[in-house]
Amino acid sequence: MANNPPYGSSGPPSNAYAVLTNLIPRRSSYASVAAGNLNTYNQSLISTSRPGTFSHLANPNSPSPSYSHDQHSNQSARRSHRSSETDTHMHDNASVPGSWGKGSLGNDSGQYGFGQFYGMAGNEDDANGGDFFVPSYLRHSKHVERLHQAHEAKTTAQREAPPTQAKGTGALSSRSSNASLPKLAPSHRGMTYEVVEHPPPEDNGGLTPLPSKWAEADKNQAIEIGPDGLEVHFVGGSKMHDHEGAATRTDHPIPVQVGIYYYEATITSKGKDGWIGIGFSGPKVSLERLPGWEPESWGWHGDDGNTFCCQMTGKRYGPTFTTGDVVGCGINFMTGSAFFTKNGVHQGNAFRDLKDINVYPSVGMKRPHAQVTVNFGQRPFVFDIDDMMKREREVISEAIIATDISSLHSHIDENSFVKELVAQFFAHDGFVETAKAFADEVRAESRALEPDVDMSHSNVSIEEDLDGTNRQQIRAAIMDGDIDKAIKRTHAYYPQVLRDQSQVYFRLRCQKFVEMIRQTAELLEPHPAQAAKPLNGHGEGHMDAGQTEMEVDDPKNEVEEWDKMEMEEADISVKYTELLEETIQYGQELKQEFQDDSSREAAFKEIFSLFMYEDPRKSPQAHLLDRASRVPVAEELNSAILVSLGKSSSAAIELLYQQTEALVDILAEEGGAGALINVRKDFLR
Amino acid sequence: MTTSPSTSITTPSRHSLERRLKEVKVSKSDLNALVMDYLDREGYPSAAQKFASEANIQPTSSVDSIQERVAIREAIYRGDIQSAIERINELNPMLLEKDETLHFALLRLQLVELIRSCGLTSTDDPTPAINFATTELGPRAETNPQFLEDLERTMTLLMFEQKDLPPQYATLLDRKLRVDVARRVNEALFTEQVERTKTKLSLLIHLHVWAEQKFVEGNKELPAYLRFWHVLDNDNQGNDHDGMQSSGEAATMASEPAARIEEV
Repeated sequence: MANNPPYGSSGPPSNAYAVLTNLIPRRSSYASVAAGNLNTYNQSLISTSRPGTFSHLANPNSPSPSYSHDQHSNQSARRSHRSSETDTHMHDNASVPGSWGKGSLGNDSGQYGFGQFYGMAGNEDDANGGDFFVPSYLRHSKHVERLHQAHEAKTTAQREAPPTQAKGTGALSSRSSNASLPKLAPSHRGMTYEVVEHPPPEDNGGLTPLPSKWAEADKNQAIEIGPDGLEVHFVGGSKMHDHEGAATRTDHPIPVQVGIYYYEATITSKGKDGWIGIGFSGPKVSLERLPGWEPESWGWHGDDGNTFCCQMTGKRYGPTFTTGDVVGCGINFMTGSAFFTKNGVHQGNAFRDLKDINVYPSVGMKRPHAQVTVNFGQRPFVFDIDDMMKREREVISEAIIATDISSLHSHIDENSFVKELVAQFFAHDGFVETAKAFADEVRAESRALEPDVDMSHSNVSIEEDLDGTNRQQIRAAIMDGDIDKAIKRTHAYYPQVLRDQSQVYFRLRCQKFVEMIRQTAELLEPHPAQAAKPLNGHGEGHMDAGQTEMEVDDPKNEVEEWDKMEMEEADISVKYTELLEETIQYGQELKQEFQDDSSREAAFKEIFSLFMYEDPRKSPQAHLLDRASRVPVAEELNSAILVSLGKSSSAAIELLYQQTEALVDILAEEGGAGALINVRKDFLR
Repeated sequence: MTTSPSTSITTPSRHSLERRLKEVKVSKSDLNALVMDYLDREGYPSAAQKFASEANIQPTSSVDSIQERVAIREAIYRGDIQSAIERINELNPMLLEKDETLHFALLRLQLVELIRSCGLTSTDDPTPAINFATTELGPRAETNPQFLEDLERTMTLLMFEQKDLPPQYATLLDRKLRVDVARRVNEALFTEQVERTKTKLSLLIHLHVWAEQKFVEGNKELPAYLRFWHVLDNDNQGNDHDGMQSSGEAATMASEPAARIEEV
């Protein structure tokens, strides 16, 4: 047992009708699958040929390797040289409480999942998988926010993948490894389909994590790294030449996207003569020197207090440092400068003109007994870097507010310009009543100012917008789930849209299919999990405390609910079968109509996979049945209509938002001032 | 310090900007909140109410509290500064006491309105304006050179016939002064509640322009499709005949970005 797909407990049904009639009795097998072993489950799925109805609809290509296999091989690929400890390792971690999700963005000091360093010290590539910390001064950073999201998505996916599979994601599993679907090429991204309710993980390749520890693979052999990955000490001999040294670098380079980067090193033991260098260096710099002695490396040395900038000759900078001192090193990518601190005191700028650098935190030492422990932000810093960051952010924010924006509205004043933006938003997005009220109030405002003057020339004119009303009605129909009505109206008012924009038409048709599935599913009782419950539990079931999150609360459903209660059980059963047949027929017609277009495959697979589940509302694809899923459909149609009328597909304010985010992102990419701006946090909240 | 070219990071290209644009997920609820913030702060109560119901969101302030601010704005727009001051004191008794500059601006506007209503011909009687200036403004002006200068400039209005007003004084009689003062009052009423004086929308516009400038400073080409506001001209072309004066050039540029953004 336990290995059967939902529809196959008593052997695969041979035709469409068998699928239909088997739907309800399937329940027991569903439960057993839920409890079952996922790997064997997937294997049995592969060996089971797909039953009649579904294989008509879905891509008939035979499924290839199971999803779970794919997933693990990708995991191990990402773990590169650690390929041997694959899935077992992963599952072990998932079962250790507290292993995941430590150190959230809002965290203050002290809560940093620090212990992970011990637990996973041997697993180098787990740096952004196991432990995640946010240095306090980077709490606003957009880059760190992204890292955090990627981390969350990854851990969530890892945590949820096994149970999700056990619930029977057969169709999805084979789908995500199906070679005929380039968009769903086998990669870790396949996982995003399993956890769609979460933001999809960022492509880690594009995001540089923060340095989190010293890298075993990137150190001089005369240096030994402590078990926490943060402490280093000198293990070489005492006979090093003057120009020799031993250095180490971190696991990741410093991401310039943070704008300002800072770390601190505590000199736990100065060694024989305090010959220790703290700084940063490029990836190829020799590790047989102290930071600062080589091109592409910069450092401050404790023995003489000098700074070294890519050469053996030092420059007078500050005091010496010795055992017990905390030395901080900061890089400001916006100004291209670097500074050091000693025991919380800023020592002034050390280097300038740091352009286009790709560097790692680095320490170097050359005498026995030297020992240094660093803090990359896992713990609070001695120097008040938070305050420095705050002041930098204030300066930028003042500059932004002081920016002259008159270039945007040469022909009218700023207020009228903003009014136009707002009015266009209402008109564009179909807020008809709001648009009218706004126009009235703007007119009243002008009249108050100059009762005698005709203000129409300098004013926002919003006419009674018949077009807006039409679009609003179409949107309302989609939001009510009445796709037929929406299609009919669109045909009547904007016949060219559905003709010319086949993608929009296709999406409407698909939505109609989804709505049919939803209506059918609503005839089932609300608790598919309580399999033992007879069919008549549906009425109050919706209301009681055990209601599921799948419950939809729009008024329409209540009506349907009522209708349902009026029906006898037998009627429901008949109605269910009828609806299901209708839905399948509609699906087949849909498939036929668009069969020549291979670009529709992915969409077909997604919506037809709803057939896989006895109650699609409890399936991994349940989000398709959400009321919220109607919004993008309504918006796409609205945009298509607007474009067909020669207007912009997006409201100006939406473009403003989108463009601003993109611009700020680009500015942050180079470590510019954009790095200190988090558009959503700073400007929209 | 110069570094070898091998370490230089990739310069963002036009391509990466387009990629970024595609990646940005515009949150509808953020957009709605942005617009609601505008309606609230700029004082459009009935639009705010309709918007709350049409967009199915919570209004940020009650209609009544927006209405109170609208009443103050309208009083100032009408030139009825006395009633505006009374209403402000009702709403926030400490505001004008704490913000002397704002109080003086209101009183000076009141003086301007008195002068306007007294008429500006040699036959009109300027006594009420002079009385008001000496009792209300004079004592305050002594404490602050800027106040004094503003007062003197305003009093100069009395020396000219209206039709002969030199341009630098004519601006005092411009209705724009009412708009400016009303805006300052509105911002002050808000600063009491939240720190920012501007609407989120206005801040976002500033940020856009600022980012554009930084972009250009970094010697990066700014594609025309980043000019979101051209959408206005574009959309208004068909149905707006009251002289938006959208230049032909702007309109051409606008139709192109619309097409590009659509792909995004």
